Amino acid sequence: MTMSEFYFGYALFLLLTVAISLIRVLRGPTSGDRMLSAQLFGTSGVGILLLLGRGMEMPALWDVALVFALLAAVAAVAFVQRVWKSGEQKEAKSDAS
Amino acid sequence: MAGETVILEVFIFVLMILGALFMLVAALGILRMPDVFTRMSCNAKSVTIGLGFLLFAFMLHFRELGVGSRALATIAFIALTIPVASHRIGRSAYLSGVSLWEGTIRDELGEALKGTREGPHKEDAGDEKR
Amino acid sequence: MRRGKREISIFSGKGLYGALVRLVAFSLLWAVLTQGGGGWIIGVPAVVLATFLSLGLHAPISWRWRPMGVLRFIPYFLWQSLRGGIDVSRRALHPKLPIDPAVVHHTLLLPPGPSQVFFANTINLLPGTLSADLHEGHLTIHMLDAGLEYVMELKRVEERVADLFGVELKRR
Repeated sequence: MTMSEFYFGYALFLLLTVAISLIRVLRGPTSGDRMLSAQLFGTSGVGILLLLGRGMEMPALWDVALVFALLAAVAAVAFVQRVWKSGEQKEAKSDAS
Repeated sequence: MAGETVILEVFIFVLMILGALFMLVAALGILRMPDVFTRMSCNAKSVTIGLGFLLFAFMLHFRELGVGSRALATIAFIALTIPVASHRIGRSAYLSGVSLWEGTIRDELGEALKGTREGPHKEDAGDEKR
Repeated sequence: MRRGKREISIFSGKGLYGALVRLVAFSLLWAVLTQGGGGWIIGVPAVVLATFLSLGLHAPISWRWRPMGVLRFIPYFLWQSLRGGIDVSRRALHPKLPIDPAVVHHTLLLPPGPSQVFFANTINLLPGTLSADLHEGHLTIHMLDAGLEYVMELKRVEERVADLFGVELKRR
């Protein structure tokens, strides 16, 4: 097994973990749970980009990974500020009715 | 010399495998844990450790300044942003009254203080789907 | 928590220090992103712009880490994070899912300010704890396992954070 094959296999494994956490997006029940899966998507994405950057000899992907690492947090905070407060109340009401 | 290199390579390999395992744990935690707080708790710790191991392995493997500094910057970003994001999501979940798992022990003082805070309140609305 | 917008001139002593810290931090980030090699024609304006924007978004607050405190804190933090990761792995992989969660209330001994916020964020990576709400020195914490001796544990973390910031813990 060459090194780049190892990296590709590893990236595939991380993609699998993302797939597992996507089940949580389907199940919910709150938007916070779904956001959590999205957060894992972001952090696994960082890992996948790092591995592909090495496996494919594309150092630029490391920069993308760095940006992903920052954006994952920004997305979470933006979600909290914009979506949760209004969205969750609506959800609670529709559950009760 | 050769022996040392082999030991280092094995160590790097172990670090990478452990990193992958921690990422798997994060996904399994999100899937298996009963409520948003336990899921988040699981996610925050294992993701940070998982990516940390992966990046540390890269640093040891390449031993270049360019790789090392970027890896270190990425670790720093992850270690700074994951706890902050988790705290933000957790706080919103708590204040908006997302139902806790039925097995959760509550602290009356905390509940009383929560009553004084802003934010919509919701009584526990039934069991959560597993 | 968002405070009212305060105008701090970058020409005042405190403001200048804060601006310099950010200028250095952004320059360092640019150097890392470009692998130290060039691009400063774009880099310098970008760094200056980022500094001004960040000062506009958030006025500098006065906090300082003690260098020796940082040296003592980092290994402790890394070790505890590792413990946290192992602890949570054990629980998530175990077929019976051994958790005994609790929401507990902790009155901070740290003085109000950055050290409290830092503490609230730090415990998110430590074994079994997740901060849910920080309000006027009271921290609501979600524990993965209420059986842990969490009060002593939290106090120990507070001592570490106090050592890092060089502040005194309140006595009960």
